[in-house]
This record gives sequence, structure tokens and C-alpha cells, in this order.
Amino acid sequence: MIDISGIKRVLPHRYPMLLVDRVDELVPGESLTARKAVTANEPWYRDLPADATDEQHSYPSVLLIESWCQAAGVLAAWKNPNPDVLAGQVMLFGSISDVVFHRPVLPGDVLEHRVRLFRELSDTVIFEGEALVDGETVLEVGRVVMAMRPASELLEAANHPEDPAGTA
Amino acid sequence: MPPRQATPVQGTAEIVERGPDRGTTRVTVDAGEQVFPGHYPGFPIFPGVCVVEHIHLSALATAPEPGLRMEAIESTRFLSPVFPGDRLAIDLTWERKGGKWRCKAVAATARGDSAKVRIRFSEGHDQ
Repeated sequence: MIDISGIKRVLPHRYPMLLVDRVDELVPGESLTARKAVTANEPWYRDLPADATDEQHSYPSVLLIESWCQAAGVLAAWKNPNPDVLAGQVMLFGSISDVVFHRPVLPGDVLEHRVRLFRELSDTVIFEGEALVDGETVLEVGRVVMAMRPASELLEAANHPEDPAGTA
Repeated sequence: MPPRQATPVQGTAEIVERGPDRGTTRVTVDAGEQVFPGHYPGFPIFPGVCVVEHIHLSALATAPEPGLRMEAIESTRFLSPVFPGDRLAIDLTWERKGGKWRCKAVAATARGDSAKVRIRFSEGHDQ
């Protein structure tokens, strides 16, 4: 098991965008199971109207993807952790496809992310998997392509905005 | 106006143009967006999924019929980063195929295309 401090040694994400709470199982180069607890105290709920319905409290779909991708990031970076986004190799998501959303995820739900490494090339890793709540699939992820790139490329994009580098 | 749904993005897109099967919106990614302190400390980059969220919200705002719900993201390609202060221009095209509404969209900054996305929607949900 990897607890939150262990996750923070691997990922550069921080509050409010650190969306993995605990890793339950990790087989390097193969698979990972991680969890993220959803609560009504996350900032995304702050501006909802006072009488918002359950449906309006659905966890933002794109954050389900972000949370799952961060879990994939832990698997990718486990061997070479780099929590500093300004140095070394950084993880960038190149493409995400065939993502299907099933039932809404609500505060109180605990997401169980199941990540499988589909293929590993020299500087690119491809993942697939799903997320479950109470044993029921809430999210299917067909394919996520993650690229490892030198941080200097990103810094250059920020400093010389006319030379864009692929990133997410 | 308070948002109808929980969302990580705080900027509201303005609809620049709207046709029966297409739309164009613009939204500024303010440096004060709540995600920046954590993504990443000392080096703010607007998360790719937040660009997708702006496309999703712009799609709903220009949808050919009410009550649509995002049921799948068929594809997303991230082409260049979005930084604090960037203005996103989003071009959307709607198509009905196989009984489902699909929206193809490109989000661009002044530096060029940032993300290309294809979203599939389901119908019959309450607004």
C-alpha cells in the first residue's frame, strides 16, 4: 500500500488537484489499484446553489478522468519518481480515447481505479482500465497515452509561447 | 449565475456564434482559476481535462437540443499547453449519427490548437 505521503513523493499534483488518496496495489510495469474518496467539501461544490439536487452534485466527469490518469501516473512514475515539474522528465498526456461514463459519482462514493499498462515504448506508455464504486463500473477508460518529456520543453513553451510543445 | 453542475473551471464562456449544427465560444483562463495552485506549484499549467471541461460546457451551451448529457469522450488529443491568462477560442460542430448527438471541437489559444475533442451525448435527461 502507498499512502498519501508516498503518492506526493511520486506526483507533482497538489491541493486542489491531487486526486488520488491511496494506492492499494502496484505491480511495477503492469497494473495498479488506487482509491479516491469524493467529498462534498471539494472546491468544485462551493458555488452550487443552496438547493442543488443530487444530480447537480455529480462529480465532474473530467475530474473522474483526471483522477484515473493520476493513478496511471503513479504506476508510470513509480520507478523514476519526479514530484518536481520543473526538472527531469515530466509526464504529459498526449491523448485519451474511448472513455465512457456510467452512473454519476456522488459525495460519499469511493472510486476504485483499476489501471493496466497496455504497452510501454521508449518514452510513451499506454494505459487502459476502469473505475468502480461499490463494485459497479462508473468509468471505462479505453486508452490513455502518456509521454515522458524533458521538463525543459514545457518551460520553453511557457517562456517562448510561439513554440508550443504537446502537453496536457 | 451559480453553475448548474459542479465543475472545476470558473470562467464562463461567451457564445460568439451559433448555428443549427455549429457554434463558437470564447473563454479567458484567468490566473486566479482555483486549479492553478495545485497544477502545479510554482508552474501553473491549465489541466488538459479543464480544457476538455470548457469544451463540454460550451457544447452544452450550444447544443441542438436541451437535456443532453456527456456519455462518452470518444477521443481527445492534447496539442499544446494552456497557461494563465490565455484566451481559448472553441469551435464546435454537431452531428447526429446512429441516433446520438456527437460534438467535435477544437480549442485554440493565440499560439495555436491546444486540444481536439470528440464527445458523444445521450438524451432524455432533465435540464
